[in-house]
Amino acid sequence: MLEVRDLHAAVDGKEILKGLTLSVKPGEVHAIMGPNGSGKSTLSNVLAGRDGYEITAGEVLFEGKPLADLATEDRARAGIFLAFQYPVEIPGVSNMEFLKASLEAVRAAQGKEPLDAVSLLRRAREACQQVNLDQQFLKRGVNEGFSGGEKKRNEIMQMMLLEPKLALLDETDSGLDIDALQVVAKGVNALRSPDRAIVLVTHYQRLLDYIVPDHVHVLAGGKIIKSGGKELALELEQKGYGWLTGEEESA
Amino acid sequence: MTPAEQLKGSVLALASQAHRDDGLTALRQRALKQLQLLPFPEKRHEAWKYTGLTALTSGQLETAAAPLNQSADFPALGDCVIVIGNGFVPEQLPALPDGLTVSALSDNEAGEVTPDTLFGWLNSASLNSGLLLKTERNRKVAGIVHVVFCNQSDAPCHASNRLQVELAEGSELTLIEHYLGSGPVLANALTRIQAGANSKLTHYRLQSESADSLHIGNLQIDQQRDSRVDSSQLMRGNVLRRNDVHVRMLESGATLAMRGVFIARDKSHIDNHVNVEHVAPHCHSDQVYKGIAGEKGRAVFNGRIHIHRYAKGSDASLSNNNMLLSNEAEIDSKPELEIYNDDVKCAHGTTMGKMDPAQLFYLRSRGIDESTATRMLGTGFVNETLLAMQDEPVRDWAISWLGEAL
Repeated sequence: MLEVRDLHAAVDGKEILKGLTLSVKPGEVHAIMGPNGSGKSTLSNVLAGRDGYEITAGEVLFEGKPLADLATEDRARAGIFLAFQYPVEIPGVSNMEFLKASLEAVRAAQGKEPLDAVSLLRRAREACQQVNLDQQFLKRGVNEGFSGGEKKRNEIMQMMLLEPKLALLDETDSGLDIDALQVVAKGVNALRSPDRAIVLVTHYQRLLDYIVPDHVHVLAGGKIIKSGGKELALELEQKGYGWLTGEEESA
Repeated sequence: MTPAEQLKGSVLALASQAHRDDGLTALRQRALKQLQLLPFPEKRHEAWKYTGLTALTSGQLETAAAPLNQSADFPALGDCVIVIGNGFVPEQLPALPDGLTVSALSDNEAGEVTPDTLFGWLNSASLNSGLLLKTERNRKVAGIVHVVFCNQSDAPCHASNRLQVELAEGSELTLIEHYLGSGPVLANALTRIQAGANSKLTHYRLQSESADSLHIGNLQIDQQRDSRVDSSQLMRGNVLRRNDVHVRMLESGATLAMRGVFIARDKSHIDNHVNVEHVAPHCHSDQVYKGIAGEKGRAVFNGRIHIHRYAKGSDASLSNNNMLLSNEAEIDSKPELEIYNDDVKCAHGTTMGKMDPAQLFYLRSRGIDESTATRMLGTGFVNETLLAMQDEPVRDWAISWLGEAL
């Protein structure tokens, strides 16, 4: 589904990713772990198509097509979803209005019928319930005045409604307390399916207690330096990133 | 003769032609004398630095508007509707809700008015008729009063629109003054509101004329002791739009909440000059104005707060946030504070920016195309302010009407 081949990417002219290779198949859950500054967020932003993140060499294919040819909104319409590390606040645009515009655009591109207002509201309410968000959040401005945990749960709620083929979760677990983490994990696990792939980008092993990955990769210095099964995460937890990077680093 | 001198000549001629013997003769004569003394506004005058009046050389000041047979369509926003076409107050006025009286303005009530600009004086000097609304003491006027000023003409002309509102002690009123119409007519509007002691006014000033028309307006609000005024001023750009808003908090305990949204697209021009004076102690004013300019649109905002010497305990704030949608658009914003008392709380701020790229990216990453996302963010930017408006019909109409401009 997702093929990243020898990807080099730069931010403001500075090379951050230096030859990253990754292959994700439908049905798989991958965890990408790494210390601060290893390039985790750059990878997420490159995949989502944020301005200023430039691919300097290598390529990224999504379902066999080069991602670089697609504008940000077209990537979303093709089925890629990025749960942001720091979701922005958009005062004045209600969450519901935002969800409606987003679902309309994505469903239309995928040849699905638009949802009528009643079904949309019902689905949004159900999704809220699944991530323990009060329905009042639908009326509020997008992420406006939400706590850190509420913002992350709002991301998962959107993911549930958009039903992406590929979900990228950028440090969705950072800064969450355990209760909120469990809620997020429950939401992600509910989405696991044979034709959907999930990539978890994380700093902490803790998330993987709740979402068990098929593959774990360690990202350091802009490259994947080690890959393995779920046991690799546990080993990292015990030994710290310094074990692989050779540097002093507290994981 | 310079263009300004020529225009001044037109102003005097227009005022002289309006002379006749009726209930407004004294008002016109006094205003004509003032006009003779005042210079025509030019860019070298600070208050007109960013707003040129060359648009008026196409003849708006040559001819007075003729009576209008039929008003343009307008949305049903109020419970009691009074329509004034090209400045002519109708002889038959509609049935009014309890607690409100309405009549034609006469010298007796208009005598004290001192407009803020030359155009305000021209309004008086060339006035055909004006509308006077008065509330009864300690009464709440049930329902929303919708005063529609429709100005329409195929040829350039000038129409004086005049409204005077007197709120008696302890009374309450919700009022919409609504300007609409089309064509190269100059709506010269003068609205004077006197909020009596302990009265409460909810006021909407809607300027929805079409893009080919012109509007120069002067809104004056005087507040007595403990009066509460909530005023929303919403407008889209046209050939020329200028508003001088002047609030005087004359007695203690008055509160003022003012908000405004101005959207200048294409080649339109909007200038708002707002002046809030804290004359008496312990008054509270809070102002939020939001501006958007796109294409070659041009907007000007000048917000002045003046705390007088004896106005201790004043609490005043003013914010003006602006969004530019194109590189050729321009917004000039200038906050001014003049404070002559130490025991005050005063805050003002201006922001100027383009659309936030992080917000735009967030929406696009959810499949929303760039132009829809841009419109949503523009709407969100102004809706924050519109949602503070209390009356649902006006709020809903305003959200969709301003949304159309984004």
